[in-house]
Amino acid sequence: MEILTGNELLSGATVYLDRDGRWVEDLQAARLFGPEEKAAQEAASAATKATGRICSLEAETVTLEGGQLRPVRIRERIRADGPTAPRFERQHLGEDDHVSI
Amino acid sequence: MYRYDEFDAAFVRERTSQFSDQVRRRISGELTEDQFRPLRLMNGLYLQLHAYMFRIAIPYGTLHARQLRKLAYIARTYDRGYGHFTTRTNIQFNWPRLTDVPAMIEHLNEVEMHSIQTSGNCIRNTTTDQFAGAAADEIIDPRPVAEIIRQWSSLHPEFSYLPRKFKIAMTGAPADRAAVKFHDIGLRAARNEDGAIGWEVWVGGGLGRTPMVGKLCRDFVEHEHLLAYLESIVRVYNRHGRRDNKYKARIKILVHETGIDKIREEVEAEFAAIKGGTLTLPQEELDRISAYFAPPTFELVNETRLDIEREKILDPAYGTWLERNLNPHRQPGYTSITISLKPIGGAPGDATDRQMDAIADLAERYSFDELRVTHEQNLVLPHVKITDLPAIYQVLVAEGLAEGNAGLITDMIACPGLDFCALANARSIPIAQAISHRFAAPERQREIGELKIKISGCINACGHHHAGHIGILGVEKKGTELYQITVGGDGTETASIGQILGPGFVAEDVPGAIERLVDFYLGQRAQPSERFIDAFRRIGDAPFKEALYGAA
Repeated sequence: MEILTGNELLSGATVYLDRDGRWVEDLQAARLFGPEEKAAQEAASAATKATGRICSLEAETVTLEGGQLRPVRIRERIRADGPTAPRFERQHLGEDDHVSI
Repeated sequence: MYRYDEFDAAFVRERTSQFSDQVRRRISGELTEDQFRPLRLMNGLYLQLHAYMFRIAIPYGTLHARQLRKLAYIARTYDRGYGHFTTRTNIQFNWPRLTDVPAMIEHLNEVEMHSIQTSGNCIRNTTTDQFAGAAADEIIDPRPVAEIIRQWSSLHPEFSYLPRKFKIAMTGAPADRAAVKFHDIGLRAARNEDGAIGWEVWVGGGLGRTPMVGKLCRDFVEHEHLLAYLESIVRVYNRHGRRDNKYKARIKILVHETGIDKIREEVEAEFAAIKGGTLTLPQEELDRISAYFAPPTFELVNETRLDIEREKILDPAYGTWLERNLNPHRQPGYTSITISLKPIGGAPGDATDRQMDAIADLAERYSFDELRVTHEQNLVLPHVKITDLPAIYQVLVAEGLAEGNAGLITDMIACPGLDFCALANARSIPIAQAISHRFAAPERQREIGELKIKISGCINACGHHHAGHIGILGVEKKGTELYQITVGGDGTETASIGQILGPGFVAEDVPGAIERLVDFYLGQRAQPSERFIDAFRRIGDAPFKEALYGAA
């Protein structure tokens, strides 16, 4: 399973495409794309690129563990949780930073 | 220190206005990310894992107090209250918002700073000895020439799109504290047969995925012809450097593949053609710029002797700090202080806004308004009266900056690693923290003596791991962070590249692995003054390998 992730233009914050087509901070709200949904995934990517508001757009593989989405790559787990040392909260979206497709 | 002239002020002002407009057009949608990326990178703005990262140039690592105060203000106002000093002697902020960056740049311009050429395939910030103009062993203060190189290389039209980035380092002392042999060009002050001072030029050094020690290109270049010689080297590189493969594009690969003799021949031909032309540096211009770096008006005081052994008995922490964090000064009664940004368990190179303000105050009050950034991610007060040391130390203690560990095992270089960096494969900072905790006891650090650990979170080697007495390289293997350990690297005048001893370790096992190497060294050293690197060179890698992995 894959999710779509990127960084929002104004804040640079890590964001995920959710089931309603909004780009949100919460990994657990991310829309899952199965192997049979390649066309939908590509359409969502294209629509996102058209907004010009999401940078470093990537598809990332995740697993479902205990009902929670978990990225396979360490890098993505750190993106989802924030730096481990020094421990910092992740960057948040500002009021004007909300993007939808 | 140097002040901007009308040319500097004009180009910085123009670039600030230009970039502000580019940011506006990006936000309005007039520019796509593909169009904007190279423009933001030219202005030091990266997009990392969690946010943008903004890198600000600190030319040859030299700062006034008001500049450090401005960096503190930026950290407090636009970031999260801290900054990260880098191995290029620059500073990075990890959390700016794109919309704030134009204002941040305007604030920088107010104190004659900018972020131009802190990224991209251009000539980057020239680095030098942090004790320049102060060190007792110096032949010549390299900063006037570093400033001339800054002026020559800033927005140089021919060298704005080189095959790859290009880094110059220089030292005016025989002791190389600027790792010049690991740079694209390394310059060392030298004397010719007539006793005149000029520059020895090393070419093709570098770290990254293909570490190389620089090769001697010319043993003497006069001041007046140095720019012509540098231009000749960069021109030859620009002409022949590979553009088809990013990983083979640095000048070190060109020098390695072509051979230094052939490169030298081409450089000399170019030099012969342009020597004596427009790049000749008039003595009056050198004198004009040198005047900005004239020694401060030192008080004439007698030689002041420090009884460090006595201080160690009275206050061991202060005594250790005196023993480790001072560097001999050319002026009697004065010294240079290294302010360690390596507290036990801290993130190497990080300083809070409050610490930056406190250090700026110290510089103004006790060090003729001068500060330096070291490539080992510490700060320096270059000109301090020895009688002022107790007062300075008290302030440093209050601000959490009084670690007496300069050059010891806990004074590590570490890149930001996978906690921040989009290129990294593994985390660096937690490894540095774990090692720091393991060797926290001051007496143990002192017993071990000089030992440089350098940690990189990927093969790009921003943490200089190849040049560490012990180097640690983070890699990702099958979804796990693994750390390769190298031994025998050296970034000084006796430069060498560390050797990989065997398979990597998982993060939890790294401190124990380092401890095995250290304990083996302590058991093997010929006398307490034999440093780790000297013992390694004497004994060779096989016994260290056995200490690390056990007998085969």
